[in-house]
Amino acid sequence: MNTLTDRYLAATLRAVPAPRREEIATELRAAIEDMIDDRVGGGQDSATAEREVLTELGHPERLAARYADRRLQLIGPTYYLVWQQVLRRLLTTIPGAVGVIVGVVQATVGDNPGGAIGSGISVAFQTAVQITFWVTLSFAILERTNTSLTLPEWDVDKLPETPVERDIRLPDTCASVAMVLLTLAFLPWQHFRSWVRDTDGQRIPLLDPALWTSWLPVLAAVLLAGLVLEVVKYRTGRWTWPLVAVNALLDLAFAVPLIWLVLTDRLLNPDLVDRFGWLRDGNGLGVASRVTVVVVAAITLWDFVESVVKARRSATRVDA
Amino acid sequence: MISEEVLRTHLQELRRGTVVVASLLALRQPGYGYALLQRLAGHGFPVDANTLYPLLRRLEEQGLLTSEWNTEESRPRKFYRTSADGETVLARLLDDLAAVQTSVTGLIEGADR
Repeated sequence: MNTLTDRYLAATLRAVPAPRREEIATELRAAIEDMIDDRVGGGQDSATAEREVLTELGHPERLAARYADRRLQLIGPTYYLVWQQVLRRLLTTIPGAVGVIVGVVQATVGDNPGGAIGSGISVAFQTAVQITFWVTLSFAILERTNTSLTLPEWDVDKLPETPVERDIRLPDTCASVAMVLLTLAFLPWQHFRSWVRDTDGQRIPLLDPALWTSWLPVLAAVLLAGLVLEVVKYRTGRWTWPLVAVNALLDLAFAVPLIWLVLTDRLLNPDLVDRFGWLRDGNGLGVASRVTVVVVAAITLWDFVESVVKARRSATRVDA
Repeated sequence: MISEEVLRTHLQELRRGTVVVASLLALRQPGYGYALLQRLAGHGFPVDANTLYPLLRRLEEQGLLTSEWNTEESRPRKFYRTSADGETVLARLLDDLAAVQTSVTGLIEGADR
């Protein structure tokens, strides 16, 4: 039997669904032999004819993909635009934020200002790679499983108003959901995979482990409620006053316990505080607490003001 | 000057759908892959083998072609034939092809005036 043809058939059939393999094999072999015979009849020697025929049929996996009706693209036109938007939105926010946070933590808690910028950049880069990989993988799976996302059809109402844009857009919602999920993931991570070690090399959880039986479940529940709010907000398509109220309540339900825990020195793990001289002695912890309180209060206030502004804007637009 | 590349893409686009019409027409008489390829080429429908063979299988899966193995000749060959459903689809496709031709003619005459 022709070895090149055998190899070609094997390479093609490997990529064809098993139930149809044998039938396609018989048919394709006959077709190849027909083509070779035809060329040999025209005066070519059989070795050259075989090479030419197989070359004409082209890459075995491309042929197999045509038989299996499979896509030769990672993400096709169905999902490309959503994939691009989600990726762009996540990459422009999260890696930078994570990098800054890690850099600041390194410079302060880690007592390593020299390496702070380096580790910030490296962590930001790793985060970007991870985000890109997982988002792309998810969309590639959607593409291959033909899952319908039931994304809202594009219509002219989706055109961004110039200069005012649609308030709640899918990439924004995805980014917010991702932020909440990252925060939720941070809770167990800081407990089990903390980068701070005591003198014996044991990992020290960043947050007070006693909180697991008191406030951490409450905060996690508030975060989950925030997820639901994001979905509702997306489906509504704009900020409404009830949404503003619920959002404010959830913000407060998160910020007030957090601030209170910080001010009563119950948020951080006491072992962690003991580990770092600048936190334990003098006024280090007090300063860190005040900075945290101000940041949390500022974020909460900013979120509230933003929701009110957007709700007013969309209310005037609806009235008009 | 229009590049060869641009011209070839447009011609390919124009020809793409007609391969199905030609196959359904030609397979009113049963035929196997390579014989069909040659017959189509002889009638001015050059088709790549790696396009035609998978296409025949797809048309069969869609029920537009039926098939039968012929083991009497030197090698086993799968003979395809246009099914009743295939005829229905073919009639619609031919109507549409004629409609396209009419529209093009209309446009040509309209542009001449």
